[in-house]
Amino acid sequence: MGHGHHIEIKQETFSMPSKAKSFTMIMMILGLVLSGIGIATIDKSGAAHDTHAGHNEQVATDNHETHEHSEAAHSEHGEEANAEHHDHAVAGTAEHEEHSNVETEAFGPRIEYHAQDKPWTTKIWSNLLVAGYYFTMISLCALFWYAIQYAANAGWSVTIKRVPEAMLTFIPIAFVFVLIALIFGKDNIYHWAHYEHLGLKPGDAGYDKVLDGKSGFLNTKMLFIFPTVLIIWWYFLGNKLRSLSLQEDNAPKGEVSFFKKSIRFSAAFLVTFGFLISILAWLFMMSVDAHWYSTIFGVYNFATHWVSSIAFIAVFVIYLKSQGHLGLVNKEHQHDLGKFMFAFTVFWAYIWLFQYLLIWYAHIPEEMMYYQIRYENYKPFFLGNFILNFAVPFLFLLMRSAKRSSWVFPTIACVMIVGHYFDVWFMVMPGIFGPGAHIGLLDIGVFLFFLGLFVFWTLTQLQKRGLVAINHPFLEESVYHDTGV
Amino acid sequence: MGLVDKNLSLRNRNKMLIGVWEDEDALLSATQAVVDKGVHIHDVFTPYPVHGLDRIIGVKRSRLARIAFFCGLTGLSLMFTMIWYMYVKDWPVNVGNKPVRFSPSWIPVMFEGTILCTAFGMGVFFFLRNRMLHGIKNDLLDDRQTDDRMIMTIETCEGMDEKGLIELMKEKGAVETREFHHGVQTVI
Repeated sequence: MGHGHHIEIKQETFSMPSKAKSFTMIMMILGLVLSGIGIATIDKSGAAHDTHAGHNEQVATDNHETHEHSEAAHSEHGEEANAEHHDHAVAGTAEHEEHSNVETEAFGPRIEYHAQDKPWTTKIWSNLLVAGYYFTMISLCALFWYAIQYAANAGWSVTIKRVPEAMLTFIPIAFVFVLIALIFGKDNIYHWAHYEHLGLKPGDAGYDKVLDGKSGFLNTKMLFIFPTVLIIWWYFLGNKLRSLSLQEDNAPKGEVSFFKKSIRFSAAFLVTFGFLISILAWLFMMSVDAHWYSTIFGVYNFATHWVSSIAFIAVFVIYLKSQGHLGLVNKEHQHDLGKFMFAFTVFWAYIWLFQYLLIWYAHIPEEMMYYQIRYENYKPFFLGNFILNFAVPFLFLLMRSAKRSSWVFPTIACVMIVGHYFDVWFMVMPGIFGPGAHIGLLDIGVFLFFLGLFVFWTLTQLQKRGLVAINHPFLEESVYHDTGV
Repeated sequence: MGLVDKNLSLRNRNKMLIGVWEDEDALLSATQAVVDKGVHIHDVFTPYPVHGLDRIIGVKRSRLARIAFFCGLTGLSLMFTMIWYMYVKDWPVNVGNKPVRFSPSWIPVMFEGTILCTAFGMGVFFFLRNRMLHGIKNDLLDDRQTDDRMIMTIETCEGMDEKGLIELMKEKGAVETREFHHGVQTVI
């Protein structure tokens, strides 16, 4: 800051206060309890009757397509039920052939919101998928943030770099939950996975040209192998960067070889992440509406998680600061984090709008279904998403004083963390459950549990090394960082 | 006080003491020394940003951001009005049966209009307030302040130790010292 003003640089260690420990524990337990109540109160037998009316409305607004479901309403759980249902579907399609026009026939049964014949456990697995995916991506984006700082030779962020460094260790934990959700729930979450079991050939009744055309990419092997390989590769790089950072701490002063190596590993991460991150979004999220596609969907997912990852970093930094740690971090760093968050709030809104805009302009029926159900049946959710994730943060973060405030800024960050979780929830739930999805105790409980676990894990990881990257070549630059008047 | 503030013109102020520097480190320590003596520095003119200078001489936060906000609002409403007039009031056109009312396709126009007005508005107001707009006579104390010299100006007031300040400037590496009064510069 001021000329000649000297700041003493010394190492700090963090030990998790018992308050934080009990708070995260309570959050996890509360999450589990809420989830338990949520599971207990799911209507396990008569789900058919609840969603049926809404389902018929959906059919009515979308021509003749899915009348067949009304016959399959009372089927029971499990794969047998699904198969049985599909027989009905086949019969239904044949029955209505005379009413169909050529274009829609080519695409097969486009809208398949058969919530009523999904076993009740689908609710659990889909929530687990949303939470696991969200936190996998949050931790991956923390690594992305970390790698960007190296690749861009950024100096300002060195004093806070231990926070994303701790966050990225959550990648494998969250991903395990995704895998669990996929193993147990994939046939009910993804209707293409269910379709895959049928093994239909061209000419068979109920044959779906679109799903068959996509099956080269959209198949069970791909669903498990591709993301797992990617996550292992990225986590390997993240771990490498972490160990380089620790080695640098223990190296003699002025040793830059670890820094230079980190730049190379960061570049390797950034390239593979940038090109391949969309694949996770396509496989896990977009394929819920398997007939639908949006070319911007991967970017949209990235924008969502990227901005919430920055929000998490900000909250952790301010928390540590409030506990008397991170003495080298001042309002200038917070202000820059705020600018970062502000910029990517706008980026998210831009992508959010333009995905809609492109589809709105083109007005192609098979592209409309994603928005049709969301706009017709979930209008408050649809607009609330925009208000929560753009309007509120935008108007607040526009102010310099809000970005530098020690309570407005973290509050907005928390709003965005919750808002973007809801955004991810909203990407898939209407696709899985049709018009009948709602935010219940289970959804809230799963989020709380994961949030508690993530915060607990990150704080635990923060204890493992000093909070200051003491030998980083840009540490001084960061300490004297100044964004000006 | 108009937008082009006559008081900002150096010609209309008290006698100014001027120091010229070639090196920003010397300039920084000089400004710090002058400020430490309790003297208010009128302004420092540098051809490029010198980090930390704004904090030392206590520059107030620019109000340009607020102007930018209102320029943005102007642009937004201007573009909204424009597209509403064209598309709804004056000449509605049926494009693929899209509704003739506010719709997503308006947003890019409004967005771009906001940015355009913000950027232009900021540019215009910035130069206007700095007295650097065309048509306003410039106020350069030294032509080299836009090239490779840094100029510190101190506005004198009664009871100021002018000699002492000039000495201090010289001691802190000023290559030239001058005074400026009613448009006349004198080397001292």
